[in-house]
Amino acid sequence: MTAFRVQDYPLKNYQPRGGGPTKAQSGGLRALLSRSPWTYRLIVLAIIGGIWQAYATAAQLLLVPKFTDTMIGVVTLAINPDTWVAFMISNQALVVGFGISVVFGVLLGLGAARFRSIEGFVDPYLSILMVTPMAALIPILMMALGLDLSSRVVLVIVFAIPVIIVNSRTGVRQVDPNLIEMATSFGATEREIWVKILLPGALPAIMTGIRLGLGRGVTGMVIIELLMVAVGIGNLILRYQGNFSADLLYAVVILVIFEALILVSILRFIERKVAPWASQTVLRD
Amino acid sequence: MIEISGVSKTFPARGKDAPVLALKDVDLRIEDGEFLTILGPSGCGKTTLLRMIAGLAEWDKGEITVNGTPVRGPGPDRAMVFQAFALMPWATVRDNTAFGLELRGVPKAQRRERADELLTLVGLKGFENRLPGQLSGGMQQRVGLARALAVDPEILLMDEPFGALDEQTRRLLQEELLLIWEKTRKTVIFITHSMEEAVLLGDRVALMSPRPGRILNITQVPLPRPRAAAVDQIEGSAEFAKITANLWGQLREMQTIRVHAGEEPAA
Ligand SMILES: Nc1ncnc2c1ncn2[C@@H]1O[C@H](COP(=O)(O)OP(=O)(O)OP(=O)(O)O)[C@@H](O)[C@H]1O
Ligand SMILES: [Mg+2]
Repeated sequence: MTAFRVQDYPLKNYQPRGGGPTKAQSGGLRALLSRSPWTYRLIVLAIIGGIWQAYATAAQLLLVPKFTDTMIGVVTLAINPDTWVAFMISNQALVVGFGISVVFGVLLGLGAARFRSIEGFVDPYLSILMVTPMAALIPILMMALGLDLSSRVVLVIVFAIPVIIVNSRTGVRQVDPNLIEMATSFGATEREIWVKILLPGALPAIMTGIRLGLGRGVTGMVIIELLMVAVGIGNLILRYQGNFSADLLYAVVILVIFEALILVSILRFIERKVAPWASQTVLRD
Repeated sequence: MIEISGVSKTFPARGKDAPVLALKDVDLRIEDGEFLTILGPSGCGKTTLLRMIAGLAEWDKGEITVNGTPVRGPGPDRAMVFQAFALMPWATVRDNTAFGLELRGVPKAQRRERADELLTLVGLKGFENRLPGQLSGGMQQRVGLARALAVDPEILLMDEPFGALDEQTRRLLQEELLLIWEKTRKTVIFITHSMEEAVLLGDRVALMSPRPGRILNITQVPLPRPRAAAVDQIEGSAEFAKITANLWGQLREMQTIRVHAGEEPAA
């Protein structure tokens, strides 16, 4: 048996990547693309729109509207007061449910990080909430709470709160222990360590949790209206589906996506304002 | 004056790991205004000992007193400088420097004034509003030093403060620390892995040995002070070479892990 030699195992696909002297920016497409992410985004949108348009035109299916028709639908709905009323109704559940989720989610997460007793109380339920397909809870909620606002609020909470709790708890846990030791050595009390070290240290993760929770809350808000309580946006979707108004149906979905995008951008903006030192925390649930 | 007498500490067994006798019967006396360096191989209990003096860790047996008062926790007479800097990434250099003052309730204007004064001392004038993430390692540790000095402690506890820095930065900071110390004459306990650093900075070098951690001996450093202006001269002197060589000889004896001659991997 001959001895093993490292040289017998060369890297197969070794290629220089991104090193060396700065490459001169050629003009044209490359320069255009490097300028702004929006260029990419609009190009992708145009491609998707184009494929969609081509497919819908060729297939001629009743429930696949053309891209152009859908865009016209979006405008039609946006100027129709009924749409706004529907969005208001749906968003009642989101505002109340998401608000409660933020307040209690952050408190429970911080509490779980600090107190074993809260941790022990929260943990099993959190695990259940994380693994349960949430939609399965809807019939149970309906039976328990009826068809009014409260069941929609509870569903939004059930969707939104787990990720907020988990991120808040993890955020506190991952604060650099050196900082806690430093503060202690300068005579900080436990309260001061919370206020001056743990909370600011956990803030980026908490904000990320809130942002992820918002996305889930929107999902919860729409799902319950689709499956059980036909009001607001869910009602619109069901109505246009029943009418075979495919263009409007698609338009509603796009408006919901718009709303979610706007809300998430607002939260991102707040995130950058309150935690500018953490460009991105990559915590997920 | 700091007095450590008969201090022992065993970290209890955890899982499969056997208990660690981290410190055994440590006796040490540090005079006011003295610069003591503690030198020893990794794992001999240097950090453990320093954290005890800082009031951050408990011991099993013995007593530690500062000016006759038993240590029962952190106190305003001691301030620490950390190996990993321990700066708050969300706070400006100025706010980091003023952190100890903030905890004491010093009003904002005075805090700011004192912080700026110390930042000037450590050469960071003009960087007051930066965030730590925008500074190099050497600059970050200057902030760490300014923060400790800001509370005007009697005793500075420094745990390998320059250990994470590159050689050039480290040399600069050694000179500056000497300069500051020669001006302020605080009591300093300075932990290091480097013989040269220990000898260059210290009045005395306490050599620690591992398993169990204890003070093996203490070397007087007869090099003249002030040293800040004469670092190159000192490091070139026969005296300096003799002391460091002697320390290295003892440290080498402590190493249990050695490369076996003749078994080195073939090139
Ligand atoms: N919290 C702890 N639990 C268990 N063992 C510990 C703990 N802290 C330290 N030890 C052990 O005590 C011994 C001394 O540790 P210490 O950190 O004081 O060494 P050190 O001299 O500072 O080492 P280094 O030079 O690497 O910083 C080591 O063997 C370490 O494994
Ligand atoms: Mg150490």
